Amino acid sequence: MAPALCFMKRRSVRQGTLAVLLLLATSGCATSVNRYALIDQSLMAGDPSRAATIIEKAKDEYGSESRVLYEMDRGLVLHLAGDYQASNDVLEQAKDEVEKLYTRHLTTETKAFLTHDAKQPYEGAPYERTMINVIKALNYAAMQNWTEALVEARQIDDRLNVLADRTSQKYGYRDDAFARYLSGILFEIAGELNDAFIAYRKAYEEYRHVGSWSHVSVPASLKEDLLRVTDALHLTDEHEAYKKEFPNVVWRPAGETKTLGQIVVISYNGRSPHKDDMFIDAPVSLDALNLVILSKTMGNGQYSNPNRRAVDSVLYGLNGHVVRVAIPTVVAQKTQVAYGQVKAVGSSGTYTATTQLVQNFTTLAERTLSDQLPGIAVKAVARAVVKYGMAEGVGRGAHAAAGKDTGPLVGIIVGSLAKAWAVASEEADKRSWRTLPDEIQIARLWVPAGDYQIQMQSTSRQGGIAGRESSRTISIRGGEARVMTERVVP
Amino acid sequence: MPERRRRASLGTSSVVMVLMGLSLLAGCAKETKVTRIDPGVVTDLSGRWNDTDSQQVAETMVKEALSYPWLDNYVKAKGRQPVVVVGTIVNRSHEHINTQTFVTDLQRELSNSQKVTFVAGKGEREEIREERREQAVHAREETQKSAGKELGADYMMKGNISTILDETDGTKAVFYQVDLEMIDLESNVKSWYGQKKIKKVVERKRMLF
Repeated sequence: MAPALCFMKRRSVRQGTLAVLLLLATSGCATSVNRYALIDQSLMAGDPSRAATIIEKAKDEYGSESRVLYEMDRGLVLHLAGDYQASNDVLEQAKDEVEKLYTRHLTTETKAFLTHDAKQPYEGAPYERTMINVIKALNYAAMQNWTEALVEARQIDDRLNVLADRTSQKYGYRDDAFARYLSGILFEIAGELNDAFIAYRKAYEEYRHVGSWSHVSVPASLKEDLLRVTDALHLTDEHEAYKKEFPNVVWRPAGETKTLGQIVVISYNGRSPHKDDMFIDAPVSLDALNLVILSKTMGNGQYSNPNRRAVDSVLYGLNGHVVRVAIPTVVAQKTQVAYGQVKAVGSSGTYTATTQLVQNFTTLAERTLSDQLPGIAVKAVARAVVKYGMAEGVGRGAHAAAGKDTGPLVGIIVGSLAKAWAVASEEADKRSWRTLPDEIQIARLWVPAGDYQIQMQSTSRQGGIAGRESSRTISIRGGEARVMTERVVP
Repeated sequence: MPERRRRASLGTSSVVMVLMGLSLLAGCAKETKVTRIDPGVVTDLSGRWNDTDSQQVAETMVKEALSYPWLDNYVKAKGRQPVVVVGTIVNRSHEHINTQTFVTDLQRELSNSQKVTFVAGKGEREEIREERREQAVHAREETQKSAGKELGADYMMKGNISTILDETDGTKAVFYQVDLEMIDLESNVKSWYGQKKIKKVVERKRMLF
């Protein structure tokens, strides 16, 4: 510890200047934290339109590299605000951008390699790209435009088929049970029973396939759907097999449900997980090892704090023998909601249903990151080595250029600055679609034709009331369907 | 020494000129460029269903529909041209296709063929009936058009557009199939069934320098 302290005293004057420069280099992440805090506040206050305005005002902060992220964030809050057409327009742009980003540009790749991964254009995680289609499908469904909703369902099928071909991990994210399930619901509403059966079956298989890491079990309503649709299609073998698999499931035949109105409630619960930096500081000398230990002891491991990171960068830059590698980590923000109770109160009676978990974004984000981590780590280490080598070269070059008298001093200053920049500029790509919820739950209920007041109240994991009760009035005819969404924030 | 100084000054002035030239070029560059082209020119930009597909399919299929024997048989039997209405064209594809433009293309081709009498579709009829109702209240009596004189269609042309996609890294094959049928409104007999297929391959480069 002593040599490191001594080292710090000798260079205390230069620290001030460096700290200012490096604070500027590390302050970018603070704005996105503030932005999402404001968005969360608006959503919690039940004002998604305000959240949309916050995002629109922050368009420049997102930057050209995060245009897709801007569109995804905005598209989702517009969806929550009930501005379905605007949401579709924005998400269609996001979809087009993602398609264009298939072609990578060498200059962009090089820039990202020499600074950090967040300099790469954001194309979204595979599950986020699927969610673009899902939200669009829900927008069309909310507008009761089933033809266009089915276009999205077909695109989901194509996207997931391509994903399965591309993904080598047998148990990773290579299909999307919820997206399949929603597609099945939409196909069934539109009367395309055969397509509905295929989608339901794929959803059922995927829920079972990834249940060990997704922590989402097969929804009870999906079992009912499989029994109903196989019966309606006279698929006797499949129907009997499902009957054996789900002996206790009570289901209504299609002949009965098609005369009733169908209400589908999609509940977005909680806030999506976000990402943070995990820095690995590798000392390449004994002196540097002491410094790293000292820095961690003094609490400089609080990486989300830009001031702390700037101090780290100054110290490591001055020492000149510390290589920093940044890896993203997922920070869960688990929802307090256990389930929601949906009540349809009409003149013919009161009908109830309980929401069931169908999508868990926290486990999806964790799984996706764990699948991508080997690639991210290799790239981060390679980048750190290149940056260190470049900083060394810059210091030596400055030494030689300044001549005999001032050369050593200039070399030390320039070298220290370059190494401090190498440490300060190292940052993991922490971008993710943060307006998504933590979980999606779904409830389906069939009611006789008539006017209804639809009420929904969520219950917390502790058994108390979660969020506020929502209420709306609808009029539904036999054979019709209504898809509605709810956002429950805690 | 003077020679070296001259070379140095030449070098400096060249750099300044190149920089000036570049700044001038940058000033001239426009973000948007508009070029007028013949509407008949094929413009395949994204590989999606476009105006060329809509026009070509409508033209080919209507020509085909009107070349089949059902038309002559009808004219011989009834002594007049059949009255045709265009019904719904269902989009069963992977794309958000504006089927209304395709319906308009079909209507134009049918109308211009002069081989069938073409009547307004469901949506348009509502508007025209509303106009007649307004005439009955507001227009001079001799100019009012009376109700109950519409020409009922003998056939309805309807169909769907569907797609099959096959995709792997960077390459996508899109197969469009347009199915149209002419249905006798009295007997539900499908008098004609036509099919047009379009296949496109869209390739994307993974890396650009």
